[in-house]
Amino acid sequence: MVSPAPIARARRSTELSLVVMAGTITAGAYTLASLGEFAAIPARIIPFLALLLGLLVLAHCAVRLFARGADPTLLPLAAILHGLGYVMITRLDEELAGLQTTWSILAIAAFVVTLVVVQRATDLGRYRWILLASGLGLLVLPLVPGVGVEVNGARIWVSLGPINFQPGEFAKLALAVFFAAYLAERRELLATGTWKVGFLRLPEPRHLLPIVAAWGISVLVMVGLNDLGSSLLFFTLFVVMLWVATERLWYLLVGGVLFAGAAWASFRMFSKVQTRVDRWLDPWADPQDTGYQILQGLYGLTDGGLTGTGLGLGSPSTVPYSESDFIFTSLGEELGLFGGAAFLISYLLLIGAGLRIALRTDNTFEKLLATGLTTIVGVQAFIIVGGVTRLVPLTGITLPFVSYGGSSLLSNYIILALLIRLSDASARRRHELPDDPTPGERWQAWRLRRRGAPA
Amino acid sequence: MNRQIRQLAAGLMLCYMLLFVALNYWQVGRQEEMNARFDNTRAVRREFDQPRGPIVTADGVVIADSVAVPPGGDFAFQRRYPTGELFAHVSGYYTFAFGATQLERTQNDVLTGETGEQQLRNLPNLITGADDSGSVRLTMRADLQEVARQALGPREGSIVLMSPRTGAVLAMWSYPSYDPNLVVSPDFDQAQAVLTFAQNDPRDPLLANSYQQRYMPGSTFKVLTTAIALTNGVTSPARVYEDVAEFVPPQTTDPIENYEGTVCGGDLLEVFTRSCNIPFAQMGLELGVDRMAAGVAAWGVGEPVPIDLPRPAASTFGDTSALDQALPLLAIRGFGQNDVQMVPLHMAMVASTIANGGQMMTPYVVDATLAHSGDVLATTTPTVWKTPITPAVSATIASMMENVAAEGTASCCIGLNGGVPVAAKTGTAQLNGPGQPERSHAWIVAYAPANDPQFAVAVMLEGTDAEISASTGGRLAGPIAKTMLDAALGLT
Repeated sequence: MVSPAPIARARRSTELSLVVMAGTITAGAYTLASLGEFAAIPARIIPFLALLLGLLVLAHCAVRLFARGADPTLLPLAAILHGLGYVMITRLDEELAGLQTTWSILAIAAFVVTLVVVQRATDLGRYRWILLASGLGLLVLPLVPGVGVEVNGARIWVSLGPINFQPGEFAKLALAVFFAAYLAERRELLATGTWKVGFLRLPEPRHLLPIVAAWGISVLVMVGLNDLGSSLLFFTLFVVMLWVATERLWYLLVGGVLFAGAAWASFRMFSKVQTRVDRWLDPWADPQDTGYQILQGLYGLTDGGLTGTGLGLGSPSTVPYSESDFIFTSLGEELGLFGGAAFLISYLLLIGAGLRIALRTDNTFEKLLATGLTTIVGVQAFIIVGGVTRLVPLTGITLPFVSYGGSSLLSNYIILALLIRLSDASARRRHELPDDPTPGERWQAWRLRRRGAPA
Repeated sequence: MNRQIRQLAAGLMLCYMLLFVALNYWQVGRQEEMNARFDNTRAVRREFDQPRGPIVTADGVVIADSVAVPPGGDFAFQRRYPTGELFAHVSGYYTFAFGATQLERTQNDVLTGETGEQQLRNLPNLITGADDSGSVRLTMRADLQEVARQALGPREGSIVLMSPRTGAVLAMWSYPSYDPNLVVSPDFDQAQAVLTFAQNDPRDPLLANSYQQRYMPGSTFKVLTTAIALTNGVTSPARVYEDVAEFVPPQTTDPIENYEGTVCGGDLLEVFTRSCNIPFAQMGLELGVDRMAAGVAAWGVGEPVPIDLPRPAASTFGDTSALDQALPLLAIRGFGQNDVQMVPLHMAMVASTIANGGQMMTPYVVDATLAHSGDVLATTTPTVWKTPITPAVSATIASMMENVAAEGTASCCIGLNGGVPVAAKTGTAQLNGPGQPERSHAWIVAYAPANDPQFAVAVMLEGTDAEISASTGGRLAGPIAKTMLDAALGLT
């Protein structure tokens, strides 16, 4: 039934060997962390290995079955980031480790489900308005009384019965899809200025409106939720997608100016932002309180030095949120500059793979979607790693695939599944493998045949 | 669009290169500076996860050691002090939350194996990560320290027993002390409560009164006054002092009296043996402020006692800047009253100086530091701190102190077992002003055997109650000094 495609088979065997390597490194790190901390082989090594192997093979088989032409590096890169992050979380907090195990299973499940449900990437574009509405809805959800929960000053959590999640993590996904679809449709209209305002030539307001609305609302909501990191991420995502879609540097510049304005305004308006900037410039002004977290994180990094203290041998737990926002300093402390650089390179490879998909496909929607999704992962990792290394002011946001957190892990695996889907689609478009109909299309064809041939 | 995507890729790559530069900056460039920050506890934490060597007395008793605790706790090792309060003022404590004190602080590098020599020795074991913690061997003896504790009992005071010829301290006990085991308890709240309680105790159990506190010395100070007067030719063994009960110094009409208003006089030996006050007041006046000030400075008064323990106190003769306008005070200070304050350890060193022919040795408690293998890293070489008097002056005072023990103020209680000859000087430092209830510190300094000095001792009992006020130093402190010297000389 499945057509022969040597290139697909080659890619999948490459992926399998890379995934096995990622799994081996993770299992080794898991054992080392336990040896470092307790001087003993971890007690749950057998169930851990079984689960690790099971999840990796499951994810790999899903790609083999549903996206066999996809880039072979995407899944292994996510696996190594996720695996080492998981090891650090188990080493930091037993209780969170148990929860993260559940999240990991759910994330792989979401990955498989996404691959199964989204068989044609272009289909997503059809649901752009629904996605816009749900994206905005998800953003506003934490503000709804009785549902939203405020944690550490940021109202980004939603509590529905037993389920707690951060809707913002999924909103960025929905909005990225909407933008890709909307811009793919109107990029030409947005690129040509027909509306004269003074000496400026702007696109027609009615084309500009949905973008401005989505942008403005999401930014306003994020500021309302007091979640500066996500707000910065949204801003960047929108500006980058507009720029790539319209090929007008103008959007990037205006976006940059608008962002600078918004940043200045929030600096003047919110004391929290002022504190963040002050501690960015001089964390030693208040080493025990507002500067404590970033300083302890930096001390962890410096203590790790070139080669790190070794897994289980540092004291990363002196840093508040060492397992989520500050997990990078925990890893930098115990794995050193070498380990930290390995993480940076992994993200760069992930970005490279994502943008390569965008370059290879000639479908505008897929191009924009791949660009947007890659930008989310790449920029998010940059914001938090830059924050903990004092390159940029610190804004709380998770490190994709690595940090503790169910919502973050789930949404990142959905992004990964979509990128793999886009990669597979681009391979088919380039006739690297035959574009077999999907099971859904086969079923519809079968129905049509039955209806068409009543005799 | 592909051009923009490539530009985006380049932009993101630039961003990540900046991250890499930032990572290098912190993890390599700023490492030393950051590790030196006071709020950076990581180095200390790591130290707490390393083995730490023991502190052992000269007679082989472990006073501090580390035991491995089951994995999973905050740290891999727990510090213990098997002798409890007995050596608390010498070992100090070693905690994560409250820092380290005494030898735990000053000998930290040896105990953790961080001295250059230890690192060099451990170089072959770098890969295997063998235990390179060192140990500290004391000059102090646990048996004598225990004798001191028993002899003093629940009375505030200090006992210092040392070797006059080397300066090695054999026992140094002061009551009250504290149990460092409670301070290093893994239960942070309990440890903090213990420390707070001790800090609020007016008797200050955390302070080593033997070398971190100073007290009015009373008549024991006459050893110094006599030595300075002899050195300056102001007095001599031939000098005879008038038999009087009162003496009116210049610039006042208030007379100075002898102890309990007695009539007292005679030659230098007699007034020293009976511990008259007036002759020593006269010596002070005859010396004058400058010669007296220079004289006490020659004995190390005014300088911190140079023991190898942190924050030792300095003895003081009081402010001398306007003393020539207050000669009665100079007179009183001549017999160790008014603003004169001596560290108990310093008084033991004064007795040692007489016993050692005029040379004051630097006191020390660390005999040697040892590597993990047991090889000696460094031993303490005895050094002379001060030479305040000539052997001749020293011999004169020595004979007078022998007389004090034989027939003077100490004769009641200092007689050693087996009739071993001993030398001593007592002191009763009156703390109360005229008309107030009597309150005095009781002192004695002594050494034995007088003909071949092996041990010198200083005993000080704080004037906290009527028992002490009613006695002279000899009767209260004397028996303690005798017990110490008997024990040290092995006399039964």
